Amino acid sequence: MTNWTLFIPELYSLGAAGVFFLFCLCRPDSRRDYGAAMILSALGLFLTVWSVGFQGSLFEGVYRVDLYSQVFKVLIYCGFFLAVCLCADLSGVDESRHSEFYFLLALCTLAMMLLVSCVHLLAIYIALELSSYSLYVLVYLRRGYQKGLESALKYFIMGAASSALMLFGFALVYGTGQSAYLVDLMRDLPGRINEPVVLIGFILALSGFFFKLAVFPFHFWAPDAYEGAPHQVSAYIATASKVAAIAVLIRIIALSGGQSDRLAWFLIVLSVASMTVGNLAAIAQKDLKRLLAFSSVAHAGYVMIGILSLTALGYASAVFYGMSLLVMKFTCFMVVVKASENGRNISTGDLAGLHYRAPVLALALLLALFGLAGIPPTMGFTAKLLIFTAAMKQGLLWLVIAAMFNVVISLYYYLQILKAAYFIEPEGQPPPIVVSTPLKLAAIAMILLMVAGGVYPGPVIDLAGDMTMGLFP
Amino acid sequence: MELHAAQFPFLSTLLLFCIASLGLVLVLPKNSNTAVKWVSAVCSGATLALALFLFAAYDRELGGMQFVEQYRWIPALGISCIHGIDGFAAPMLLLTGIVFFTGVLTMWHLKHRVKEFFALFILLVTGVYGMFMALDLFFIFVWFDVSLLPMYLLIVIWGSTLREYGAMKLTLYLLFGSALILPGIVYLVSVSGLDTFSLPALAQKGVFSGFEQKVAFFLFYVGFGILAGVWPFHTWSPPGHVAAPTAVSMLHAGVLMKIGAFGILRVGMFLCPQGWVHWAPLMAVLATIGIVYGALVGLRQTDLKFVIGYSSVSHMGIVGLGFATMTVDGINGAVFQMFAHGVMTALFFSAVGHFYDQTHTRQIGELGGLCRVMPVAGSYFILAALAGIGVPCLASFWAELLVFIGAFRVYPVLAIISLGVLVINALFILRVVEKTCFGPMAVHWAHLQDVTFGMAIPRAVLAAAIVIFGLMPFLMYEVIQTATIPLINGLNSLAGQTAADSINTLLSQWMSRLP
Repeated sequence: MTNWTLFIPELYSLGAAGVFFLFCLCRPDSRRDYGAAMILSALGLFLTVWSVGFQGSLFEGVYRVDLYSQVFKVLIYCGFFLAVCLCADLSGVDESRHSEFYFLLALCTLAMMLLVSCVHLLAIYIALELSSYSLYVLVYLRRGYQKGLESALKYFIMGAASSALMLFGFALVYGTGQSAYLVDLMRDLPGRINEPVVLIGFILALSGFFFKLAVFPFHFWAPDAYEGAPHQVSAYIATASKVAAIAVLIRIIALSGGQSDRLAWFLIVLSVASMTVGNLAAIAQKDLKRLLAFSSVAHAGYVMIGILSLTALGYASAVFYGMSLLVMKFTCFMVVVKASENGRNISTGDLAGLHYRAPVLALALLLALFGLAGIPPTMGFTAKLLIFTAAMKQGLLWLVIAAMFNVVISLYYYLQILKAAYFIEPEGQPPPIVVSTPLKLAAIAMILLMVAGGVYPGPVIDLAGDMTMGLFP
Repeated sequence: MELHAAQFPFLSTLLLFCIASLGLVLVLPKNSNTAVKWVSAVCSGATLALALFLFAAYDRELGGMQFVEQYRWIPALGISCIHGIDGFAAPMLLLTGIVFFTGVLTMWHLKHRVKEFFALFILLVTGVYGMFMALDLFFIFVWFDVSLLPMYLLIVIWGSTLREYGAMKLTLYLLFGSALILPGIVYLVSVSGLDTFSLPALAQKGVFSGFEQKVAFFLFYVGFGILAGVWPFHTWSPPGHVAAPTAVSMLHAGVLMKIGAFGILRVGMFLCPQGWVHWAPLMAVLATIGIVYGALVGLRQTDLKFVIGYSSVSHMGIVGLGFATMTVDGINGAVFQMFAHGVMTALFFSAVGHFYDQTHTRQIGELGGLCRVMPVAGSYFILAALAGIGVPCLASFWAELLVFIGAFRVYPVLAIISLGVLVINALFILRVVEKTCFGPMAVHWAHLQDVTFGMAIPRAVLAAAIVIFGLMPFLMYEVIQTATIPLINGLNSLAGQTAADSINTLLSQWMSRLP
C-alpha cells in the first residue's frame, strides 16, 4: 500500500511545474510569472520543511523517504527559492520565455527531489536525466548571447557521454549484484568491491554524478555553461544541482562499505586533480562566472576528500560542506546578478566600488569569499575542518596538506575579487546599486548563516551526522 | 599545566568588550568619524587597563594557568572554549593592550574611510587578544586567522609604497603558514584519539610517539614561523611593513609577529617536546641566519621602514635562538624579547610615521637635522633606536642578555656569530640616527611641525614601557619565569635528567635579589 502522504512535496512540485506549463500557453506576463514563482517556491519550501520528519518507503522500495532525503529536499528547494529570489530582474532571458524558464526550473527541482530519494539504480538514472535535460535547455535560454549555443551543446554532449558511462557502470554493477535495489547491493557489494569488474562498474557508475558535481575530468562543461547560462541558472547549477549531486554521490559510495583502498585511491587522485586544476585555472579567469565555475571544480575536489574517507564522519562532513557551498555560492551569485546591468556578464573589475555602491552586498561577498577559501570564522572553515578531520582519521595527512596548499592558491583569486570590491575605484561615477528590501534581508540572512556556521555550527553538524546515520541500515 | 579557575571572567570580558566595540563601530552612521575614533580609543584604553590589571594580578607564587574559563562549544567535535593566561600570555596581553592603545591614538588624524579602518583594526586586535588567551587548538587557529585577514584590506586600502604587492605577498605567505598549522592541529587531535581540541587535555592525557611529535612540531614551526619572520620565510615581512600604514605597521611588527612565536611556544613546545628537542638545532641555525641576514641586509637599506623591517627579522631571530636553547634563561629571554621588541618596534614605526607624515619621504639620504625642527619626535626615534640596539637599562637589553646567556651554553659558535653581527648592526643604526636626526638640515624642512601634545601621548606610553621594564626587568622576569620553569622541568624529566643547573642560573639568582 503506497502511503501517498510521503509523496506530497514531490506532488506539490509537479503541480507547481504544471502551473508554469499552463502559463506557457497563455500570453507572456513576466510580473505574473515572477509573482507566482515566488509564492509557489516559498510555499514549497515550507512544505519540504514540514515534511522533514517523514519516514517510509514508496513504490515497492524504489523510493525511500528518510531524514537524509528530506533534508536534502529542503536544501534543493532552498536553492530553487533563492534562485527565484534573484529573478526580479530576469533580463538575461527573453520576456516571452519567462514561463518556460520557471517551468524548467520547477521541473528540474522536482527531478532532483526524486533523485535524492531514489534507492534503485534505474530510478536514479531517470531522475538524473530529467534534471539534466531541464538544465540543458535552461542554459540555452540566455538572450542574445553568442556563445550560448556552444555552452549548451558542450553541456549536453558532456552530459550525454557521462550518462552513457554511468549506464554502462550500472549494467556491470547490476550484472554482478543481480539487483538494482541499493538495499540488496549494499549487502552484496562490500565483500566484492575489489573484484575488477565490480570496481570498474562502480567507478563508471559514479561518472554521472562526477559530471553533475564537475569533478575532474568531467568538469569541462562547467566554465562554459556557467558563462553562457543566465545568471540565475548559473546560481541554480552552482547551488541546488551541486547539493543534489553530493547527496546521491554519498548514497552510491556508501554502498562500497568503506573497505576498498583501491576505490579510495581512485577518489584521492580525482580529488587532488580537481582541486589543483580548478584552482590553477581559476587564477587566469577574467569573467567572474567562469572564475566561480572553476572554483566549483576545486570545491568538488574538497567535497571528495570528505567522501573518500568512506566513513560516517566523512559523509557527514561532505553533507555539511554541501550546505555551506549552497550558502556561499548563492551569495556570490547574488552579487553577480545585482552588479551586472541588463544581465550581461561581468568581470572581476566590474565590482569596483561595490563597497559604497552596495555595502551589505559587499560585506556578504567578503564573508562568502573567505568562506570559500576556508577562512575562519565562517561556515566554510567549519566545513573544511570537518572534512580534514575525517581524512586525518584515515591517516591522510599529506592529502590534507595538499588541500591546504590549494586553499592558499585559491585565496589569491578570491582576494583579487575582494580587492576589486573594496579597493579599486570605479571609472566614472556608477550609480549605487539598488538592492530591494527582500534581497537585502536575504543578504543579511546569508551573512548571519555564514557567521553562525563558523562560530556555532554544533546543531548543523549534529543534523548532518543524524542524516548520514540512516545510510547504514 | 595547572588550571586555576577565574573568580570573574576577565578574559571573556576583554574579548567581548572588543567585539561589542566592533559592533558599535559598524552600526554607527557613515559620517560619524569622531564617534568612531572615540569608541576605538575607549575600547583600546579599557582593554589596556584590563590587560595591565591581569598582568599585575597574575599570581607569581601560584604559577600555572590562571583566570581560566571553560565553556562548551561544539561537543560533537570535542571543541570547547577555554581561556587562560600563564606567564607567557600575560606579558603578551599587556603588549597587545599597549600597542592597540597607541595605535589608535596614532591614527587619530585619519580621514580616509575612517569607520572601516577602525572596524578592521579592532577586528584584528580581537584576533590577537583571542589568540593569546585561547587554550583550545580550534580557537587558537580561528583567532590566528582572524588576526591575519584584516591585514590585507588594511594594507591595500590605507597603505603606501607598493601596497598591492606587499599586501598580497604578506597574506599569501601567512595563509600558507596557516595551511600547515591546520593539518598539524587536526593531525595531533586525531592521533591522540581523545576527540578533543583542548590544549590542557592534550598536554596531560595525550600520548604522542616521537615520530608524531616531530612531524607535528615541524608543521607548527614552519607554519607559525612564517609569521614570526623565521628565515627563509621572512620575505613577506619587510615589504609588508613598508606598505602598511603606521598603526598597522606598529601592530604588525609589534604584535602580529609575536603571535607566530607565541604559537610555536604554546602549541609546538607544549604539545610536542620531543619534536622541539629534535628540531632545536635546526631552529638555532635558522634563527642565527635570520639574525645575521636581517642585520646585514638592513645595512643596505635607504628607506627607514625597510631598515626597521629588516631589524625586525633580526630581532625575531633572537627570539628563535632563545627558543632553541631549551634553557630557562633562553626561554625567559625569548619571551622578554617578544615583549621588548614589540614595544620598541611600535615606537620606531610610530616615530618614522610622524617623519613621513611631515616630510613625505622615508629616504635616509633626503632627511637630516630633524631634531632641530622636531625635537620631541626625534628623541622618541632615538630612544627606539637605542632600545633596538640593546642599550642597557632599556627593555631589549635584558631580553638579549638572557637569550645570549642561554645560547652561549648551548650553541657557543652561533651565539658569537650573532653577537658580532649585532655589534655591526648597532653601529649602522647609530649612523642612521645621525643622518636623520642630526647633521645639516635641508632648508625646505624648516617649516615642519613637531608632534602635538595629543600625538605625543602614545609615544610616551611606549617609551615609558621601554624604560620601566628596562629599569625594573624583574617585573617582567618574575612573571615569565612562572611558566618557563615547569616547561623546562617537563623537558628535563622527558630526557631523564635532572639538570638542575639549567634551571637555577646565576642570573636568576642575582635577579631575585633585586628589590
